[in-house]
Amino acid sequence: MMEIRGLNKSFGGNIAVRDFSLEIEDDEYLTLLGPSGSGKSTLLRLIAGLERPDTGAIVLDGKTVTGTPPHLRGLGFVQQKYGLFPHMSVFDNVAFGLRYRQIDPVSDQRTVNDRVERMLELVGLEEFGDRMVGEISGGQRQRVSLARTLICEPRICLLDEPLGALDANLRERMTVELRRIRSALGVTFMHVTGNEAEALAMGDRMIVLDAGRAIQVDTPHDIFSRPANVQVARFLNAYNILSGSGQGGAFETAGARLAMPPGVSGAVHYVFRFDNVAICDPDSRGQSGSAQMEAEFIASEFLGSRVVYFFRRPDGGVIEAEKHLSAVDPRGMRQGEKRILRWPVENVLLYGKGGGMLRHEPVLEVAQ
Amino acid sequence: MSAVTHDIPEEAGRESFWRRNLHFFLLAPGVAWMVLFLIVPLVMMVYVSFWTQTTFAINSTLTTKSWAAFFGSETYYGALIRTLRLWLTVLVLTFLAGYPTALFIGRFVRNKTLQTVLLVTCVIPFWTSFLIRVLAWRPMLGKEGAINIVLEKLGLISGPIEVLLFTELSVIIGMVQIYVVFMVGPIAFMLARIDDSLIEAARDLGATPLTIFRKIIFPLSLPGVVVGAIFVSVMVLGEFATASALSGRKVNLLGNIIVTQVGSLKWAFAAVAGVVLTAVMAVVITGLLRLVNLQREL
Repeated sequence: MMEIRGLNKSFGGNIAVRDFSLEIEDDEYLTLLGPSGSGKSTLLRLIAGLERPDTGAIVLDGKTVTGTPPHLRGLGFVQQKYGLFPHMSVFDNVAFGLRYRQIDPVSDQRTVNDRVERMLELVGLEEFGDRMVGEISGGQRQRVSLARTLICEPRICLLDEPLGALDANLRERMTVELRRIRSALGVTFMHVTGNEAEALAMGDRMIVLDAGRAIQVDTPHDIFSRPANVQVARFLNAYNILSGSGQGGAFETAGARLAMPPGVSGAVHYVFRFDNVAICDPDSRGQSGSAQMEAEFIASEFLGSRVVYFFRRPDGGVIEAEKHLSAVDPRGMRQGEKRILRWPVENVLLYGKGGGMLRHEPVLEVAQ
Repeated sequence: MSAVTHDIPEEAGRESFWRRNLHFFLLAPGVAWMVLFLIVPLVMMVYVSFWTQTTFAINSTLTTKSWAAFFGSETYYGALIRTLRLWLTVLVLTFLAGYPTALFIGRFVRNKTLQTVLLVTCVIPFWTSFLIRVLAWRPMLGKEGAINIVLEKLGLISGPIEVLLFTELSVIIGMVQIYVVFMVGPIAFMLARIDDSLIEAARDLGATPLTIFRKIIFPLSLPGVVVGAIFVSVMVLGEFATASALSGRKVNLLGNIIVTQVGSLKWAFAAVAGVVLTAVMAVVITGLLRLVNLQREL
């Protein structure tokens, strides 16, 4: 188990990581979501020991390793650029750590052979041992890089945007592969990504990072259904976020007064999910329990199994409505047509001035 | 009508032939130059080496007399052996002096501009002419030269070190200084190209700095070493000026033999030495190229 306490790191006055604390369990899949520039790569390099923190401590199994060089920490680091050795075969790349590590190198060729072959089999590359790394595809390189790290049996394996360089198809397959490989070995993975879908799909736990600070640490389910912070809701790319002020049971936003959950004061962000929005005819009657707003249809985006409709609010901003095609048929609308958008008030999330959530009762379940 | 339909494909075919092959004309100046000034002279050199040489004249009657004389005389094949020995010594020394310099510039200087500045600094001696650079070693190495004076003043030696000038040692010192930069450049270039992520990966996998150098950095810089070695080899093997200026004509290399033979109008004999030298260079370059697959690495 690893404990990170109050890590700080800045580069020439730019703060990259700010007061970051976290406990990493054994045998878990952690994902770390942050936009580019949020300090996620720096954080990973601090944990790996490739950078030194300004303040703070990293404790591994009760031992402080803050000043320990990377190779003595028992951590593995899979780089975004893979960092494969171009003058060696796939086999020699994977065997590198076993043969040449400072502590406890394996000199017996048979043991090396056995372990490398087992590892290549685990990552599905048993046929490729003799190839040079220039002769294999991007997805295969990714797996060589992973095998090369995992063969040293690290306590925690750090992955820096491991799927970033792969095309969409391969990315989906590797998602499943990574989870399978991890559970087969029982190693803790800490996976850094800028892609919210990837972070949600892969993690047992998920950390959301913004401007060098962890703003929410929770299961993907809880993060998705109840973002602790308006910034988290923004990263998830599944919420409409309206700004204004909430008073006396109504939320004032440019051009509209919206019904909002009672008993909350000081709300400045009014947030509801894309897939909670119902698209109704302009002359339909209001319903109790839902908030509504008139909006103008702009365009729709067909995504195979679902459609996203974009509407313009009276103040010029955009509201997105997402409809799954297994539930409703796609509807044709002309650009500029008026519609009434409705959503259940009980599902609205409200956030205060600091961005924190103002209402903590569980309000909705994630759709399957 | 049928004549017209017959003509059109013919015309089109001829035009597309020209269009398809027009770009080969770009090669014409280069090919003409190489044929005139490389291929023809090489062939002539081999041909002339079999001509009959008399004291003051040469005629085209074919004979192997010059070849027999070359390998029959200690002076001449001794020069070949000396050339090879000197070449190997200079090659090893330029590598030993050049690699650490290149390692410093290529891996430890992080700033690209500073890297370039340092490499250009290495070339500063080339701003003066080759002969001046060679001759400048005389007042340095001589009996009353700078090195001996300084050492005597410091009380480190009682009499001048005579071996410094007009010996094989002075030739080696001079050549290493002149040619080491050709070793530094290509190696520094290859070293600077090694991605830091490789070093970080190796470090993370538990390798010590020495292991990282042996298993990652050195093998990846090998193409640079080979290119540098080819530069140095070609130049040292063909050398004559440094040897004659710094050895007082005591150290004769194949290059010196060619110069003296040409000077005394012994064309056939000079041609033999030329062919031998060319063959040696071809073997050396082929051998060096076998060390690494440059096509893959560059």
